[in-house]
Amino acid sequence: MSEEYLLQMTGICKSFSGVRALDNVNFKVRPGKVMCLAGENGCGKSTLVKIISGVYTKDEGQVIFEGKEITKITPAEATRLGIQVIYQDLSIFPNLTVRENLAINSEITAGRKMVNRKRWDATAREALSKIGCNIDLDAKMGELSVADKQLVAICRALLFNAKLIIMDEPTTALTKKEVDALFVTVRQLRDSGIAIMFISHKTEEIFEISDDVCIMRNGKNVYSGQTADLTRRDFTYYLTGRELVDDRFVPTNISAEPILEVKNLCMPGKLQDVSFELRKGEILGVTGLLGSGRTELALSLFGLAKPSGGQIILNGKSVKIPSPIAAQKLRIGYVPEDRLTEGLCLQQPIADNITLASLKRLSNALGLLKKKDIYEDAAKWVKIFSIATNDPKKNASTLSGGNQQKIVLSKWLSNDLDLLILNGPTVGVDVGAKQDIHALVHQLANEGLAVMIISDDLAEVVVNCSRVIVMKEGAIVGEMTGDAITEDNILEIIR
Amino acid sequence: MKLKTFTKNNRYTVMLLGLMALILVFFTATKGGAFWKLSLWKGMTMQFPEYGCMTLGLMFAFISGHMDMSFVALGDFASILAVNYMSAHVVDGMTNGQVGSIMFVAILIALSIAIIGGAINAVLVSRLNIPPVMATIAMQLVWTGFSTALTKGYAVKGLPALYTEIGHMELFGFLSIPLLIFIVLFIIAAFLLKFTVFGEKLYMMGNNLKAARFSAINTHNMLLTSYILSAVYSCIGCLIMVSTMGSAKADYGTSYVMRCILILVLAGVLPDGGMGKIMDVLLSIITIQIIATGVNMFPQLNTYYASLIWGGLLIIVLIVSTRMSGGTVRVRKPRKAPQKTA
Repeated sequence: MSEEYLLQMTGICKSFSGVRALDNVNFKVRPGKVMCLAGENGCGKSTLVKIISGVYTKDEGQVIFEGKEITKITPAEATRLGIQVIYQDLSIFPNLTVRENLAINSEITAGRKMVNRKRWDATAREALSKIGCNIDLDAKMGELSVADKQLVAICRALLFNAKLIIMDEPTTALTKKEVDALFVTVRQLRDSGIAIMFISHKTEEIFEISDDVCIMRNGKNVYSGQTADLTRRDFTYYLTGRELVDDRFVPTNISAEPILEVKNLCMPGKLQDVSFELRKGEILGVTGLLGSGRTELALSLFGLAKPSGGQIILNGKSVKIPSPIAAQKLRIGYVPEDRLTEGLCLQQPIADNITLASLKRLSNALGLLKKKDIYEDAAKWVKIFSIATNDPKKNASTLSGGNQQKIVLSKWLSNDLDLLILNGPTVGVDVGAKQDIHALVHQLANEGLAVMIISDDLAEVVVNCSRVIVMKEGAIVGEMTGDAITEDNILEIIR
Repeated sequence: MKLKTFTKNNRYTVMLLGLMALILVFFTATKGGAFWKLSLWKGMTMQFPEYGCMTLGLMFAFISGHMDMSFVALGDFASILAVNYMSAHVVDGMTNGQVGSIMFVAILIALSIAIIGGAINAVLVSRLNIPPVMATIAMQLVWTGFSTALTKGYAVKGLPALYTEIGHMELFGFLSIPLLIFIVLFIIAAFLLKFTVFGEKLYMMGNNLKAARFSAINTHNMLLTSYILSAVYSCIGCLIMVSTMGSAKADYGTSYVMRCILILVLAGVLPDGGMGKIMDVLLSIITIQIIATGVNMFPQLNTYYASLIWGGLLIIVLIVSTRMSGGTVRVRKPRKAPQKTA
């Protein structure tokens, strides 16, 4: 490999039905280096990856891999050249074992018709040994943690003698600890001469892991060069096209009496003796690793999980919350963790999604819809949140992640709430939308709403919360207020 | 440009109108004037209301993202009980008023059975989490089993003459009672879907049941209502069928299950849920009735070919509609435009 660059792409253009998704994109990947492709959601990162991997065909431009120009890339050709993509959804078979997932591709490529357990075993072991990880080969893929699934996907990529591994937002569903472990693997791969293209929009990660960086905005690449030459401020500017102000939440309107008291909440294997208070005007952060009980806590406050013991006191009265309907009556709103499966009806209009939880208000006593009010309500939220759409009658699926999340928030904010629970409010949301969401939550809290933010994005917790509780194995293991809330302090308790 | 947007938003309407035109041209070309006889078209308006009502019922289940395979069997059982009741209570020499009140009770019995049957489906699916297709196929067997055990497989006769008379009565010389019932049920269904909170929630829930539950929608109640609607509508269809057949039987109308599915899929009401417009369902019902009547005009294609024709048609329609929706429903579409971030 004498060339300086493993992959060079120049002047790449791609349009979908007349709309430019990629406009004259140029970048280079060096062998044995980590190149970060950064950009907000919808800026064309995924399209670019799909061109490299042969899923889409480029309209214009030049692709040079190992010094040779490649005119036509197909997925099979990309694999042969040593380009492997690890997609967000990981493309694995959840119902098969780790062994089968690892071995199946090479078995198929070899055209074998019969199953030989020994050979499968050998292939799988060889794959795992490449990065020295230790995963039970008999475990069902679907039961593994996201982090382990990712390792398996990496191993599978290595089996194809990958020279370039593209990872599409690999850290989205990982906890901090898992991210660190992943980075160890990434560095290991890099040192063995493999080029890594790492797609992300998280500033900290990009600065931690990458050697080179290419920043995209609205289908164009606005910066490409070495990460070391870039300051964080510049980076954010390139990413969003605007200066970012670091706005820490300052509570100004905390009520004397707590609105919510949780006493000794228990759920076998999930929650142990969880007790805390929440006042109006506060933003309480709940953080902890995946499986620490943070989601179960939220679900039991929203009537979707049944605690086995303990007490929930709202406005001084002990309440039972058997269903989301009951929770809504108690003026509790919940923005779920997984926007796509729990938050949105993707193939339905934006307006209908926004008003879904407030149809009672938007209909008369006979259950007839007040269509005019529905569209007015929707238009109001589109304006407040500056949701990027020209027509709320379009389906929610036409929006980017950040805008979709704004819909889910609007859905609950259009109810009159006392308590708003946000579970991972900005997962997969671009920096700009993230700022909008945070600003609105701050404003609502200062207007007297009690807010609970459940998140493992520590930076988010630090900036937004006036108080933080840390959970571990179903129990509260730490609490901090005000200036004591720092990422380091939280990490110390979590680990 | 405007026409293009219209076509895009109403693909199924356009497709159905095109299909209908094609069929009309075909039958006119092959059968000429015989196809345009008034009596033939009047005959059609007598035939489609029975399965038309069933289709409207099944439509609720489909829009909610669920399946109902049991509706005809349940309707048959309900109408067997109704006919039994009528034949046991109506004696010679009764006035029309007396017979009428017995018929009224019999219809109430049938409808209550339908409500119970619909509720059972809903409980199996939403509380016990049995996959809808399997739960309702099992219930189909159960209801057919009840009917067969009760009747030993024979047709139940002894229907009061008044019942069949009403079934064949025509208002203003063209509006038959079955057609009137269908029109009323259609208006109710259209109203429910378009103007009520129930309809709005039904579409949303059909698209994403979990998100609906997370939005404080009582999905159990929604399913209960939609399965009951499905059963009641189908039961009314069966009661109409009883009047045309002059009796009730465990296996009357079993072929309607597939025909109703065919009509809905043709109208873009896919069992994936949250899709389809009721006007398209109406167009689709009419189209299918024209095909059925037209095919009947070819003596070579006797009833032994019916399954083949409907089955073949269903497969073709399934392929076409899956391809039509493939881009939006099953596979993730390439992102069309770079989204401007706010």
